[in-house]
Amino acid sequence: MRIWAVALNTFKETIRNRVLINILIFAIGLILLTLIIGDWSIYQQAKVIKDFGLSAMSIFGLLIAIFIGIRLMVQELEQKTIYVIASKPINRWEIILGKVLGLSITLMINIVFMSIALWGTELIQEGQIDLGLAPAILLITVEILLIVCFAIFFSSFISSTLSAIFTIVVFTIGHLSGFLRDYIEIYPDKGFHWLLKGIYYIVPNLEILNLKMAVVEHLEQPPHAVLFGLLYGMGYILLLLLLTIIIFSKRDLK
Amino acid sequence: MNNLIIKTEGLAKVFKETTYGGLKQKTIVALDNLHCEVFQGEVFAFLGPNGAGKTTTIKLLTRLIFPTRGRVWLFGKENVDHTAMKKVGYLPEQPNLYGYLTGKEFLNFIAQIFGLDKQVRRKRIDVLIERVGLSERVMHLIRNYSRGMVQRLGLAQALINDPSLLILDEPMASLDPVGRKDFRDLILELKNQGKTIFFSSHILSDAEMIADRIGILNRGKLVSVGKLDDLSHSQTQPVEVTFIVDSSQISQIDLVKENVIVQGNRVLVRLDDKEALSSLLRQIDKWGGRLESIIPQRKSLEDYFMTEVRK
Repeated sequence: MRIWAVALNTFKETIRNRVLINILIFAIGLILLTLIIGDWSIYQQAKVIKDFGLSAMSIFGLLIAIFIGIRLMVQELEQKTIYVIASKPINRWEIILGKVLGLSITLMINIVFMSIALWGTELIQEGQIDLGLAPAILLITVEILLIVCFAIFFSSFISSTLSAIFTIVVFTIGHLSGFLRDYIEIYPDKGFHWLLKGIYYIVPNLEILNLKMAVVEHLEQPPHAVLFGLLYGMGYILLLLLLTIIIFSKRDLK
Repeated sequence: MNNLIIKTEGLAKVFKETTYGGLKQKTIVALDNLHCEVFQGEVFAFLGPNGAGKTTTIKLLTRLIFPTRGRVWLFGKENVDHTAMKKVGYLPEQPNLYGYLTGKEFLNFIAQIFGLDKQVRRKRIDVLIERVGLSERVMHLIRNYSRGMVQRLGLAQALINDPSLLILDEPMASLDPVGRKDFRDLILELKNQGKTIFFSSHILSDAEMIADRIGILNRGKLVSVGKLDDLSHSQTQPVEVTFIVDSSQISQIDLVKENVIVQGNRVLVRLDDKEALSSLLRQIDKWGGRLESIIPQRKSLEDYFMTEVRK
């Protein structure tokens, strides 16, 4: 009940946020724009629509995750609205879970809207829809939720600017994880080797959650790639939630 | 009056502040060794200048921050988790409430956190909205409320669980005179219902009007606690003496080194303590004067407060 109350409040906060609406309209507009862009690429329209659409979904989902996720915590702490809630008979972990749940609902609704826009564009252009995109969309959702958890984790103990920087760094390194591994293997004796190795193991490999190219190009995927991605992402999400709860439960709300 | 509602023992809070980009660390003792008791049904005012540690104490009571040392008991049980908060209503100093919600949505949200069922929620919200005078604006977004309206809504949320203990941090700071009067009436009404009220304030006149007991906090330390009358009487008490004396004697009155007002042959002398009274009376007798009145002056809370914080 208490978690749900916080989740519902968070959901209201996010859907009444103009930034979210603007990003969503822009994302859907951009997906619809592929109707024109697709026309430019002879014989490749379908591929361009899918590729462009999934990328837009990923990037704009990420923007929403970072800006709304960080704002959600920092606003509570800096504007001190948290005083009214945290002084009530509610555990701090319930506040965190409620916030993550509320924001997740908003993000998932966004993904649904963007998916409708993508499939709608496909239907207009091709006269059919490719349900084979669904696994990629599912893992994009997991990736966005994971980034939300990073944003909330950082913003539970550092400023909004630093939180945004760290979250973007995690996203970037997460997608360059393969390069990082190769670099460590090729140059094992370079300075800061231990640091790079540490980063490689701590930051999630977000390419595991990236099936965009595979579904667009109809490439053969490793068996259980979706299930593995799902479990990998959920594992990180749980770990981050646990760390956030530990930090947030012990901190003074000054 | 013998049921302990709040008890603190050796309560202390030290904050560490980093400056110069984290290179230098400064230690601030916000609260030091607070021993305090508040009993059932009393209105306890926690007074002190800015930075005295009032808000820190309140945040420690409500578990927004955790003590560096010492312990807190609420309703006879050590306050180690949030369970006691079920019976507590808390209004923060200059509350910031969720601007994207309407007043009614906000109260409903808070009532949900207390686990109140839908029917109770609806009934209580309606009564409270009426009580704090927000009926006309309750469907508007909070971001469009004035400071005073936010304060009233803040008070409504503090009462949503029908609390036994109300903890209010500077509750009258952003209210206009009418709002303050309403607020004082409400506090007295709640007191009559048997609720315990602990509030901090720097508006001494309000505290003087409604508090049963006061505690004065200065630089993190509780410098005095008790009933206002007892505290005032524990100090030297001024006395005003009026007498009639022959005009030929008036020039000699300068000898009395106290505040003197002369009007014709009537003289008013203000003595800072009763001890000087007997010598003045002997003097009046010597001058052949006639005593008109001796009036003990009650020290105001402000006088007392200023004496304590300047010590």
